[in-house]
Amino acid sequence: MARSTSKDAQALFNSLRSAYSATPTSFKIIDLYVGFAVFTALIQVVYMAIVGSFPFNSFLSGVLSCVGTAVLAVCLRIQVNKENKEFKDLPPERAFADFVLCNLVLHLVIMNFLG
Amino acid sequence: MQLVSACTKTLLDSRGKAAAMEKFSISILLIISLLPFLCSSFSQESPTDRRILVLLDDFSLKSSHSIFFSSLKSRGFDLDFKLADDPKLALQRYGQYLYDGLVLFSPSVERFGVALDLAAVLDFVDSGHDLIVAADASASDLIKSIATECGVDFDEDPSALVIDHKTFAVSEIEGDHTLIAADDFIQSDVILGKTKIEAPVLFKGIAHSINGANGLALKVLSASPSAYSANPSSKLSSPPSLTGSTISLVSVMQARNNARIMITGSLDMFSNRCFRSGVQNAESAIKYDKSGNEQFVAELTKWIFHERGHLKAVNVRHHKLGETDEPAMYRIKDDLEFYVEIYEWSGKSWEPYVANDAQVQFYMMSPYVLKTLSTDQKGLYHTTFKVPDVYGVFQFKVEYERLGYTSLSLSKQIPVRPFRHNEYERFITTAFPYYGASFATMAGFFIFSFVYLYNK
Repeated sequence: MARSTSKDAQALFNSLRSAYSATPTSFKIIDLYVGFAVFTALIQVVYMAIVGSFPFNSFLSGVLSCVGTAVLAVCLRIQVNKENKEFKDLPPERAFADFVLCNLVLHLVIMNFLG
Repeated sequence: MQLVSACTKTLLDSRGKAAAMEKFSISILLIISLLPFLCSSFSQESPTDRRILVLLDDFSLKSSHSIFFSSLKSRGFDLDFKLADDPKLALQRYGQYLYDGLVLFSPSVERFGVALDLAAVLDFVDSGHDLIVAADASASDLIKSIATECGVDFDEDPSALVIDHKTFAVSEIEGDHTLIAADDFIQSDVILGKTKIEAPVLFKGIAHSINGANGLALKVLSASPSAYSANPSSKLSSPPSLTGSTISLVSVMQARNNARIMITGSLDMFSNRCFRSGVQNAESAIKYDKSGNEQFVAELTKWIFHERGHLKAVNVRHHKLGETDEPAMYRIKDDLEFYVEIYEWSGKSWEPYVANDAQVQFYMMSPYVLKTLSTDQKGLYHTTFKVPDVYGVFQFKVEYERLGYTSLSLSKQIPVRPFRHNEYERFITTAFPYYGASFATMAGFFIFSFVYLYNK
């Protein structure tokens, strides 16, 4: 039984990998960016767990900047993807402009809340 | 009044009436302006008592205790002698007390005169005035109940006297060992004065003990461990109830309002006979030419009537370190300095009090800071400390209670506020990773947007 499940897991992993390599490069860049943002957020949470939450506003500001920009990148990826029927009529330039504007507002708020 | 009428008579006779009326009014004005100086009584500025009422069983006590009374008079007291059952006796008139101290040398009185009773005596003490009670073998229930209210219990047996077969005073007349020579004094320079009382004190009277629950009463002169309280003329049928050092011969009590009360079981201790006679302790066989009674009684009455051991604390000041005026509010983690002046009444003037154990508390429900005050030997006490990291309304509290001294209790309220938002440090070191992460995210976004746009 164990061998078949490990073989199944391996087969699943290989199929995922081959499907993913078929995605266009621009999406892979977005995915990399999201991964970087989430990783930075995780580091901050681990640091807070060790040191304590003394300047809580700074902690929130740091984590929120990472999480917010990850969320905005995910939105960009959704809107730019041609296979999504919902955003068929949305030009990708408009999506990118939204992404940049929202990030600017996010970072303005972060800078103010950082203390 | 007679002075005024004599003045006016001479004035009217010598000159014409008009000029005399002028002189009359001027002299009236002069006399009225001198009236304030005629009032010299107990006041906060001069805590020693002035007017003492002495209640006696009969006036022969005035002559048999004349040395004691004349020493009191020479120390400046106004003594007013009255019989204890005098119907015109009054401690107060129109709500104001006429006397500052009361001496009860009337052990056998059953009822005082009309205006005075147990409740009136207790009210007198409750209003801060001093009391001396001397009982005797003939002590009545009234005197014993006054003593019980002050925390001291006399022996219930009305015929019991203090007997000591080891430390009695050797005398030719009395052989029943009821005249005892006591030298077990309390160790306190404030109460008994700096000079050590060398000779023992002669005592003949009834025993009392201090109620164990009372924390304010002290034994100034205790009986020796071989003393007991029993009837000297009859055989003991059961062991006596009061024995040994629990028997107190002279006790004092300082009430929480600083009224001082002295209770003793021997009126003879104050008499001329005991003052003048020599003492020989049967046990140690040292003969003293003069008993210690006069010195003991003089020093103890000095303490009772507030000539010694009376403290006052004035002028509580505080300010931030480096400034001079008192702020209305402190901030947490400020440094501040606290000053208070403590003086001791020497009988005639306020002298600086010198001690190294006065403390100040910075108190809010419990003391956050407790510091010992350091003195400059001239009565000024000060200390410096940092306000704790808690905000709220605090009090500076000085609570000082020492054996024989009046208790000091001062408090001054002061609020403490937290940091304002611009009083924090500009960059907090523990938050550097968060600062770094935010800037890294911004840089990442910038680089990402370039890469995404120019990616073919």
